[in-house]
Amino acid sequence: MKALRFERKPGRYVAATVAGRLSPGKGASVGPLKLKDVDEPKLPADDWVRLRPRLAGICGSDLATIDGHSSHYFEPIVSFPFTPGHEVVGNLDDDSRAVLIPVLSCVTRGIEPICPACEAGRTNHCGRIAFGHLEPGLQSGYCSDTGGGWSTDMVAHPSQLLAVPDALSDEAAVIVEPTACAVHAGRVVAAMGPKATVAVIGAGTLGLLTIAALRSEATVGTLVATAKYPHQKSLATTLGADRVVAPSELARLVRTLTGAWVLDGGQLTDGVDLVVDCVGTEASLAQALQVVGPGGEVLVVGMPGHTTLDLTSLWHRETAIRGCYAYTRPDFERALDLVAEADLARLVSATYPLARYTEAIEHAAGAGARGAVKIAFDLRKKDRR
Amino acid sequence: MAERKGLEKGLVALQKVRARVPAVREVVRKADFPYRAPTVPLTVEPAPAEQTLGAHYDSDWARKLPARYARFFLTEGMVRPIIAGLAQPERRGLDRLTDLDGPAIFAANHHSHLDAGLLITSLPEPHRHQVFAAGAADYFFDSKLKAISSALVLNAIPFERAKVGRRSAVQAAELLQAGWSMVIFPEGGRSPDGWGHEFRGGAAYLSIRNGVPVVPVHIAGTGRIMPKGRSRPKPSHTVVTFGTPMQPHEGERPPAFTLRIEAAVAALADEATSDWYSSRRRAAAGETPSLSGPSSGAWRRTWALTAQRKRRSSATRWPDLD
Amino acid sequence: MPRPGFVLDVDKSTPPILFHHGEGFRLEKLPAGRTRVIYPGEPLEPLEDVEAEIRKALAEPLDSEPLTALLKPGMKLTIAFDDVSLPLPQMKRPDIRQRVIEAVLDLAASAGVDDVHLIAALALHRRMTEDELRQAVGDRVYDAFAPSGALYNHDAEDPDNLAFLGTTPHGEEVEINKRAAESDLLIYVNINIVSMDGGHKSTATGLASYRSIKHHHNVSTMHNSKSFMDRHNSELHHSNWRMGKVIADAGVKVFQIETTINNDTFGQDGPMSVLAKREWEWTAKDRVTFVGMQQGLKRLSSPTRRKIFQSHRAPYGVTSVTAGAIEPVHERTLQHCFDQHLVEVEGQTDILTMGLPYICPYNVNSIMNPILVMCLGLGYFFNMYRGRPLVREGGVLIMTHPTPWEFHPVHHPSYIDFFEQVLSETTDPAIIEETFEKQFAEDEWYRHLYRTSYAYHGVHPFYMWYWGAHALKHLGRVIIVGGDPRAVKRLGFKSASTLTDAFEMAEDVVGPEPTITHLKNPPIVMADVK
Repeated sequence: MKALRFERKPGRYVAATVAGRLSPGKGASVGPLKLKDVDEPKLPADDWVRLRPRLAGICGSDLATIDGHSSHYFEPIVSFPFTPGHEVVGNLDDDSRAVLIPVLSCVTRGIEPICPACEAGRTNHCGRIAFGHLEPGLQSGYCSDTGGGWSTDMVAHPSQLLAVPDALSDEAAVIVEPTACAVHAGRVVAAMGPKATVAVIGAGTLGLLTIAALRSEATVGTLVATAKYPHQKSLATTLGADRVVAPSELARLVRTLTGAWVLDGGQLTDGVDLVVDCVGTEASLAQALQVVGPGGEVLVVGMPGHTTLDLTSLWHRETAIRGCYAYTRPDFERALDLVAEADLARLVSATYPLARYTEAIEHAAGAGARGAVKIAFDLRKKDRR
Repeated sequence: MAERKGLEKGLVALQKVRARVPAVREVVRKADFPYRAPTVPLTVEPAPAEQTLGAHYDSDWARKLPARYARFFLTEGMVRPIIAGLAQPERRGLDRLTDLDGPAIFAANHHSHLDAGLLITSLPEPHRHQVFAAGAADYFFDSKLKAISSALVLNAIPFERAKVGRRSAVQAAELLQAGWSMVIFPEGGRSPDGWGHEFRGGAAYLSIRNGVPVVPVHIAGTGRIMPKGRSRPKPSHTVVTFGTPMQPHEGERPPAFTLRIEAAVAALADEATSDWYSSRRRAAAGETPSLSGPSSGAWRRTWALTAQRKRRSSATRWPDLD
Repeated sequence: MPRPGFVLDVDKSTPPILFHHGEGFRLEKLPAGRTRVIYPGEPLEPLEDVEAEIRKALAEPLDSEPLTALLKPGMKLTIAFDDVSLPLPQMKRPDIRQRVIEAVLDLAASAGVDDVHLIAALALHRRMTEDELRQAVGDRVYDAFAPSGALYNHDAEDPDNLAFLGTTPHGEEVEINKRAAESDLLIYVNINIVSMDGGHKSTATGLASYRSIKHHHNVSTMHNSKSFMDRHNSELHHSNWRMGKVIADAGVKVFQIETTINNDTFGQDGPMSVLAKREWEWTAKDRVTFVGMQQGLKRLSSPTRRKIFQSHRAPYGVTSVTAGAIEPVHERTLQHCFDQHLVEVEGQTDILTMGLPYICPYNVNSIMNPILVMCLGLGYFFNMYRGRPLVREGGVLIMTHPTPWEFHPVHHPSYIDFFEQVLSETTDPAIIEETFEKQFAEDEWYRHLYRTSYAYHGVHPFYMWYWGAHALKHLGRVIIVGGDPRAVKRLGFKSASTLTDAFEMAEDVVGPEPTITHLKNPPIVMADVK
């Protein structure tokens, strides 16, 4: 079968790092990712099933891996060679469609008794992601045993599957996984209580979905967002943002909204109650700390890496930075509904066959500038694979 | 053969280069406003061109330091040798000017273009390099080139012939106040026939108005070198006679003072053609010959003029036959 | 003898016409046969002896006792004067305000008046810097009064220093500077650079608070001021006149001194002088100067260009000084303004073009940001008419200006937020007024910056937008030639790279072969449209 394989090849990885710096997405053509003819993955245990991907999305974390700037943190929780792709809608053997819940928790690994986190239902916090009868891997798509969405065949544990109602299109189903991330973030925020003012940084897939999820899951007053491109701005507005501005304008917007004063260094004396950072870069984190008010919170939804930050304001203004990773099964179930409610299928802008993977990845890396949001591989037609 | 090929190649290359460089004519033809003068909309009556020549010529630059240096070298290095060669001037009466301090108006009779140069080079220091000339606006300032050279060489300012215009009078007054002496030919133009013309009031007016004395000057002989109407000079001998500086009397009007100045110049003319004492006696008796000659027929005026011309013959009148 | 302004019918022989373009210029060939150019009048003869005219105006005021009779020992005297927003560009020293104030103070000194305050009547404008105050009132006056705190900027947000004087029959609240209100005599020293200035507006706006100003600085008033340069047809002025009555009824005695200046903006010599000349009269020297200036400017950075232009001081001649009771004084002043500015124009046009210069009332020593571009074009220049607008209803306005996305961070902080946060939502003045004005007007930070720094009041960018409200309603389309397309789009206008493109775009709105009128301003010209 055809699969995009990511192998441990240090030379190519360095080349990808360089190429990725020069032009986002370029890591695909020189890096360790290759389209190969490989054997279908074996079922790791009897209860596992085959999932034949129909659509598989390209995620920001995939791009970071391909362009060679993901953190060394991932090394022990990834196993090579792996087939990326964790945003997957596929067919089961009975031809029914299911969405993959990619977290590889204790249950999938055959670990008994399951860890306290899994016990509590917080499978995203599972403490056994490098152990059990599976090779290490925090999710399907990073584990050499499970295969991944960027192929025609992968394996999944039944606990990882969520049936797709017939009414839901493949495009809608493939957006369920990132939506679940957003729903998870929305529920984290909901647990914090009502927030009068919230800023969402970033209007890529995750940012847009987070705006929708905040509106549906949490109690949020004024929601402002940053967007670089016009289509992002209009989507953000329709999904529930009250005000959308360019990233460089956020601080001034927050100042106006909160009536803050400004110190000579540009620091605001007040800010929003909550910032949701859906980008996760050094710049976005610094901006989040700039616009969050005293006692406020920064929720990091986008995947950050190795970062340098001035945390004086964190100390001085008693703010908090908190991460927000993945989802649980209930988040997924809610996401399935939300995708339908908010018509999130429209975020899928283009699909590519596997053979055109370099183009697909470059498109995904430059999605905003090219008027796109989510790029996916289309594996439904044999001749387009 | 190979050479010819090389040559041909060279020619072709040259033509290519020429084809790429636009012809000057092309560039000029394509040039548009503001690189080319504007055309006037049909409905607009063009404004009268701003007067920058004639009486309106602004010669202030000629009193600036660079122009003064240039004039110094022109006067000493060019005008003086030329005058010396052409006019062999004899200068008289300079002793009458010893008591003169401060600016003065030098008023002379006028036969020739040489007069101004001759008079200026004949002036004693410090007047020689601190002097301006009144030049006929319609003659010396009618073209840009003439205006610039008159202003540079003679430090001329434009003067109307007929009467002193406001602009000229103000400028002359300013310069006189600033310590500049003035050279003026009150006849208002060169003599057409060798006899003088009636003096105009400018010198007297400026003298009265600015409290500056008038020095009467008589120039003899330049009419022979280059009279009006001749463009190639003929070297000859000249005499420049300075008179005693004159102050206007209390309450004297310009016409009266003008008459006195004219009389003084006439007396100097008499002195130049005869001797000082007899000229003084004739002056005392009111018998000084008029500068403008007898009021008779044309030939008698010319005839009378030849009588003044016998003075000292030039050494090179005739070819040396020895 | 200065030639009056006139209307040129463009024909094939007409040379390209000079358009101002921010800190630069364009020469544009205009279509022959259907284009008119309205040329301003040449500078009127200035008064020969300004000091004598001032003394005469003070000694023989209109409908008032001579100033000497109004000055008494022990009285409380306040002299208010126009701020840095005029004249434009600033005047070569001595400024006429200085000459008038010195003459007034001479009389006050001999009358034994000790309690004198001088106030820059800047309403909601930014405070004037020391240099700007010195430029306006002169060093003698500044050094005599500023150190003791008797010369200062009006503060429209100082609750302790405002006096509420009452309400007009229309419900407009009148609140002005307390010191001015409580003085035995308020002398207002004005410069009437355009016919909008002066009259009751001097005190009722210049010394007022936001609470008071908002009653006439709003969309509805501007929609009903046609134009605001024509005081008899301007709701803006009617409102100010009503307020003036409340001020008078409250017992505030105002002695108004109004002055007018001529059109000598660019001088008779120097490189700028070519800008005031009619193109077909450009001499070879003018053309060389112009080409050199263009080439030179092209090679300079925009801050350097701005610095050069902002340092230009205009050699204006003073054409009138009138003192006395506000209304008769202002009528006479208006006549002097109109003598210089008015040009009769026959009928309206499909397309109105204008070249916007580097300066407007609110960017003296500052940056002309996109909002000010809008205000100068659609506010000031569009309203340079009496009778009917120069351009027909539904017509197109084309202006040339680089319109950079640039703001002076100290002078215009609320403008940045207005541009980023308000115009990105809507450009409709009425919606803007309803949705955003209050928030900006009452923002404590803007208030702080207005009162202590050199910032325009938080609400000021709204007023800029309202100033163009009448034009926005009237016009079918606005096109900016040579502007930053992003900034132009944010303003809600279309951008074109050349004037020819702009004409093409305009034809989509007004039809083929449209008539075009070019308002050749500056120097200032105002159209009397029949």
